[in-house]
Amino acid sequence: MQLMKDHTQNSSYMGGLGKVGENISLIGVTIMFAQKGSLTRKCVWLFVLLYLLFGARAFAQQDSSVRKDLFQMSLEELTEVNVVSASRQEQKISEISVPISIITAEDIHYSGLTSIPEILQFEPGVDVLRTSRFRYAVGIRGLHDVISDKTLVLINGRSTYSSVYGGAEWFRLPLFPEDIERIEIVRGPSGASWGANAFNGVINIITKNPDDVLGYFGSTTITEFGDSFTHLRWAEKKDKWSWRSSLGYEDQKSSDEAGAGDYKSSVPSMNALIGFDTYSAQDFSRNLITDNEFVYQPSDWTKLSLGVGHSNKTSGNFETGGLFPSNHRCYETTRLFSRIDRKFEDGSSGSLQWFGNLERSGLGDQLSYHNFENDFEGQLNFAPIGNHHILIGGNVRLIRINSKSPTAESYKFEGEPFDEQLVGIFGIDRWKITDRFTIEGQLRGDWYSETQTDWSGRLTGLYALDDNKDHILRFSAAKAFRSPMAAIRNVTVERFAIGPDLYLMNVVKSSHELENEETWSLEAGYTGKLAKGLTLQLDGYYQHYDNLIGIKTGPDPLGLGRFFISVENIADAEAWGGECELAYENKRGKLSAWYSYNDFRTEKSHQDIRAYQPAKHKAGLTGRLFLPDNWAFNVNYKFTDTTPGNPNGGDDIGSSHRLDLTISKKIAKGRGELMLGVSDILVKTRESVLDLGAYTAHETPGRMFFARLQLKF
Amino acid sequence: METSTIRSKLYILIVVYFGVQAALITPQAFAASASSREYQVKAAFLYNFIQFTEWPAAKIADNNNAISIGIIGDDPFGAAFDPVKEKSVKNKKMVIKRFGRFTELIKGANEDKSKSAENTEALRKCHVLFVCDSEKENLSKIIEIVKDSAVLTVGQSENFLDDGGIIRFIKEAEKVAFEVNIIAAKEAGVQVSSQVLRLAKRVITEETADDKNK
Repeated sequence: MQLMKDHTQNSSYMGGLGKVGENISLIGVTIMFAQKGSLTRKCVWLFVLLYLLFGARAFAQQDSSVRKDLFQMSLEELTEVNVVSASRQEQKISEISVPISIITAEDIHYSGLTSIPEILQFEPGVDVLRTSRFRYAVGIRGLHDVISDKTLVLINGRSTYSSVYGGAEWFRLPLFPEDIERIEIVRGPSGASWGANAFNGVINIITKNPDDVLGYFGSTTITEFGDSFTHLRWAEKKDKWSWRSSLGYEDQKSSDEAGAGDYKSSVPSMNALIGFDTYSAQDFSRNLITDNEFVYQPSDWTKLSLGVGHSNKTSGNFETGGLFPSNHRCYETTRLFSRIDRKFEDGSSGSLQWFGNLERSGLGDQLSYHNFENDFEGQLNFAPIGNHHILIGGNVRLIRINSKSPTAESYKFEGEPFDEQLVGIFGIDRWKITDRFTIEGQLRGDWYSETQTDWSGRLTGLYALDDNKDHILRFSAAKAFRSPMAAIRNVTVERFAIGPDLYLMNVVKSSHELENEETWSLEAGYTGKLAKGLTLQLDGYYQHYDNLIGIKTGPDPLGLGRFFISVENIADAEAWGGECELAYENKRGKLSAWYSYNDFRTEKSHQDIRAYQPAKHKAGLTGRLFLPDNWAFNVNYKFTDTTPGNPNGGDDIGSSHRLDLTISKKIAKGRGELMLGVSDILVKTRESVLDLGAYTAHETPGRMFFARLQLKF
Repeated sequence: METSTIRSKLYILIVVYFGVQAALITPQAFAASASSREYQVKAAFLYNFIQFTEWPAAKIADNNNAISIGIIGDDPFGAAFDPVKEKSVKNKKMVIKRFGRFTELIKGANEDKSKSAENTEALRKCHVLFVCDSEKENLSKIIEIVKDSAVLTVGQSENFLDDGGIIRFIKEAEKVAFEVNIIAAKEAGVQVSSQVLRLAKRVITEETADDKNK
């Protein structure tokens, strides 16, 4: 607060009004918290008063020294300047304090892929397993499962994780691949910037600004199995308004219809009891999606953004814990946001944002629930103070979960409906000690109404080996935590009555309160521009995990052979490894190759961690060639080593090679494009992968030919 | 004063302040002096393009010892050129000329034919002419006016190069890049250095134009 007051300098009308507004805000905050009242109401008013504080600022000239520097740059240097801030701060990739990979819009476009997890798998250190045609286990450096809560997934910095399970449900995100500007993949604990869930890494999906996609756009992809993916977009700019509106429909056939779908059981002795012979791969999906963003920019100093995205998905059912209900599953997701970005006269800037996620899920006879999240957050980037660039922020999140258990064999959440609150504050200081040496410190504290208060941090040293800062060394220490989400803390389930009040599988609550999972890491890295267009990135890490939560199987008190399982903090684990990537890019195309080694060891043998361990060795290659006459050829290749199976009986998932090829040509004077492609050409069907909580799994189709037509005008 | 009275007065003040704030967020409230980082970078590019472009000797001589950058349309640059407005480039003073919208230029000209000649002459005298997004529907008319006058035309609309523009700004992965139409440059009578061409994302030459038309 004191720093912001000191920066109010303008004596104009705007500055005078600013001072009044600022004083009102400060008095308001004091009175508000002195009063009794619900926490929800206080948090809403805090947001309003913070908005006033921002609104109290006047508009004026930017620091002219920044502009002068640009005129002293060469043409080549100007082509390297970022014009939009990435994630929390505007930084060059080589100066970022975490290991990061970027998937560009061009990478997405020429892959021809319609699913984001499929695109992610071609990046260093990312583990992806496919459990059905639309369900994926995605994790950075392993710890992946369909509902894994160890990798934070964001869209434009806004969380997508399920407040019930803690993981991102990729299949319900209202998002189109051709609306994505880039995907930032951060490897390592990043909780200091983003809070819990950023345990092993962050995936931040940045969408395109309306200004960058003006006009009409249509795309339709058809596969040999009869799947179709259609996307229509309209973006327009009028005076100070601009908008982007996308509408699309996906129709994906089941694995059975696609020639795969053979089921496998991990508990053959129970097949008769669970009705295994009746199982078939009902993993079709139909999804109607819309994503819209509206921007009002009255000046280059203020920007108001509003957005609404919705997806309405119906899918076939699948087996969980021996239960294969007859009803289809339906998922409705609505994501809304409102945001204001402001720049101030002293060179500082800030943002205030609200976002809301509403999810309704009907899981056949197992469970139906709806949850509603409200998140209020603010961030202030101070103008440089000496050699320090300081950034502070915080957020308040309000969650409500309401569930219904339709049958006695359903999942139940004890004590529901749940109302939970999370509050986090963070600060980042980037201190340029010398022209070549910078230290960045990040610190964050989070309070949770239902679990423990905890903190995250990261300390990084960046050292440029040369004056041009083409070669940067990075050393970091980081700490993050993961707070157990509602499903883990509160769920109970009973399955398959085999007698009065006797069930085949019983999930019981933990005998003690679950503690946060903790992790800390030591990291080192190098990013270098070896020659024009040629870059090398090397990263190494050691990471230790404390109190990992897993599933424990207990004895049947009646000795009848039933499963009694509970969710507990079991033991620790450690991981080490690294990634390296060499990339070359010029006007003719791109060639990049990478290798990652991710080792992971649990403290106890057969220790369950509610997720898969990483495949130890992974390697990938991407090649793209722009040919004469507007042809383009693209190849994506990945090798994945064996993924260790569930330590309590699951099979390992064998090593595999994946090769995707596309060829495309611009048509209609560059306004259109026709693409023919094949994904996973080397494999006809992919082996089955067991979901957490499932006894059975089925194959999914591998090789798939597709065609895509796009037009824009 | 009771707390509830203080609170109600505070709420009223907040509502009034919000109302004032909303009223202040209007286009007129903000001067053209503000400029975004994107346009600061583009301004720096234009300044650099001047250094790497050759104009006919007659054009250089016939301009009051100044090199002019014209901006036609809704100006997005604001104060972006301020750091260099008093500086020299190619030993000549740099001058920024803002023309406003093409329709306003023509509207005045329709009422006064001498004004028309004066306006079009002013456009032709520019060494660099940046065509703002607001003028994309009149782009071909603007290019027609300046095409024989050794003007380096720069823009960023989708079909800028196809309609005869010389350099088009694009954005890639949050960075500013550009494309060049050498054929249009030759027709205009300006010579763009190979150092600019080397950094362009796409260069339209006679060969690439022939391939496209096949």
